[in-house]
Amino acid sequence: MIEKYSILSPEFERDAPRELMLLSIISQSFFQPFSLEDNLIVILTALTSGSGVGFNRAMLFLKHGDRIKGEMWLGPRSAEEAGLIWEVLSTPGIGYVEIVEHNRALVSKNEDTLSARLKGLVYAADDESALIPAYAACRKEILHVREASNEPLVDRRFLNLIGVEEFLCIPLLARDDVVGEIILDNAITRTPISPADIKLAGVCGLMAGNYIYSSTLHRKLLDVEKMAAMGEMAMFVTHQLRNPIAAIGGFTDQLLKPDVPEDRRNRNLTIIRDEIRRLDGIIYQMGHFLKVSLKEPVYFDPGPAIAAVLDSPEIQASARDHALNVKLEPCLPEIMCDPTSFGEVLRNLLANAFDATPAGGAVVVRGYRKGPGAYVLSVRDTGRGITNPDKEQLFKPFFTTKEKGMGLGLPFIKRIMDTCGGKIEVQSRVGKGAAFKLIFLSRERELTP
Amino acid sequence: MKKKILLVEDEKSLCLLYEEELSREGYDITAVTDAEAALAQLAGTAFDLIITDIRMPGKNGIELITQIMGLRKDIPIIINSAYQSYKEDFMTWAADAYVVKSASLDELKAKIGQLLGA
Repeated sequence: MIEKYSILSPEFERDAPRELMLLSIISQSFFQPFSLEDNLIVILTALTSGSGVGFNRAMLFLKHGDRIKGEMWLGPRSAEEAGLIWEVLSTPGIGYVEIVEHNRALVSKNEDTLSARLKGLVYAADDESALIPAYAACRKEILHVREASNEPLVDRRFLNLIGVEEFLCIPLLARDDVVGEIILDNAITRTPISPADIKLAGVCGLMAGNYIYSSTLHRKLLDVEKMAAMGEMAMFVTHQLRNPIAAIGGFTDQLLKPDVPEDRRNRNLTIIRDEIRRLDGIIYQMGHFLKVSLKEPVYFDPGPAIAAVLDSPEIQASARDHALNVKLEPCLPEIMCDPTSFGEVLRNLLANAFDATPAGGAVVVRGYRKGPGAYVLSVRDTGRGITNPDKEQLFKPFFTTKEKGMGLGLPFIKRIMDTCGGKIEVQSRVGKGAAFKLIFLSRERELTP
Repeated sequence: MKKKILLVEDEKSLCLLYEEELSREGYDITAVTDAEAALAQLAGTAFDLIITDIRMPGKNGIELITQIMGLRKDIPIIINSAYQSYKEDFMTWAADAYVVKSASLDELKAKIGQLLGA
């Protein structure tokens, strides 16, 4: 007998041991499509969301080059607020997304008070004589500080800011480097920090350090990929522009000759205008492609967006000489994507499907749940299909099998899907057609009575 | 006798432009928009020069040149492409000239003049 379990449980169990819940929350940050900052907020939350024994407040320092800089501070400003936060977090059914949303608001509330002052704290990262808090990061040691006012190693500016005598400094280590440091205290409950708390915080520090390290690396990699794509794009655009420019140049030269007959002048001007429109189209598409992926994905109901695309004049026009068959499960879940980009993705896929399918052929759109937390939207055509060598090239910018295509549609879709933690899959048999499957992260909607 | 030029160019506006401009220079132009049509023309007519694009739907200009070299080695060929980079493809070295498309036809006209001994 085989039993299967989800690696990421979508909800946090109220009864789970606090240690387990904490590690589970931090490890989930590795898999979430949120920004580094949002995930850092969740990590700080995990460290501060214990009732009773837990840490009351967490403060994050990050290493930027040779500096260690205060970044954000999370925690209640009073015992009352602490109770409120813990109540929200221990509501049954609450998941990662809700925590992100709740705490984003909390950090922005702190922005004007604690975090703003924290951001003024900057220390040298490789200073042997560093004061606490930087000391812990520089020496790669966990420090448990008590009676801080009597300790000359503690930076006074820092002490004035946090205003407590006991706190914990956890360096965030990744490979052989330090990526930052977390300071934890119990400023509200004044509960002493126990050896068990220190061990747990140490493990969290290791996980958080590795998360920050890998996501910074990932971001750098994306930048490099982007630069390479930009270079390739610049070259491609140069070529794309040459054809219309050659036509515009040639027909303008003709116009400049003496005694050009009226009909010839009109014809040339029409050609020049059309070629300029073509240049305009190229520039529009390039701009569109470059703009992609800047928006944060959110959970939203895709129903209205799907309907808007299907009802758009462009799609309706294509559907006139094709059979468009749409089958969606009733009551769609919410999917994770930027809503505007989602519409563009679907529009692009449908346009491709219509292009590939000869008049009279069918294009089928299907939407269905694929287990919990995943929703599939597939667009299938009955066109010429895609050969295996072409399949490997499909998502590379500027690859196209179309006469007038730019080869930016599918790379655009792939980029959107990557940004929202989704996937795109393609299946095809030559001569039979192709099916593109968009797989989104999804969650069920709460039914309002 | 007018010199006969076969032009292979899939961009309709450029096709028209070249046809008009080169006819004005005194050449007899036959314009086609793909490689298959070019091969069909070559089978029936003795051309003095071929001008071909590279990126075209169906067979591209490099494949066309390869096939022409197998049929008739003596016809001079000018490649006229928006892409500079195809110069790195050694098959394009088989052509007699490589002219990158630009806003002016002067270079193309000059190369034709050289190759046809005008």
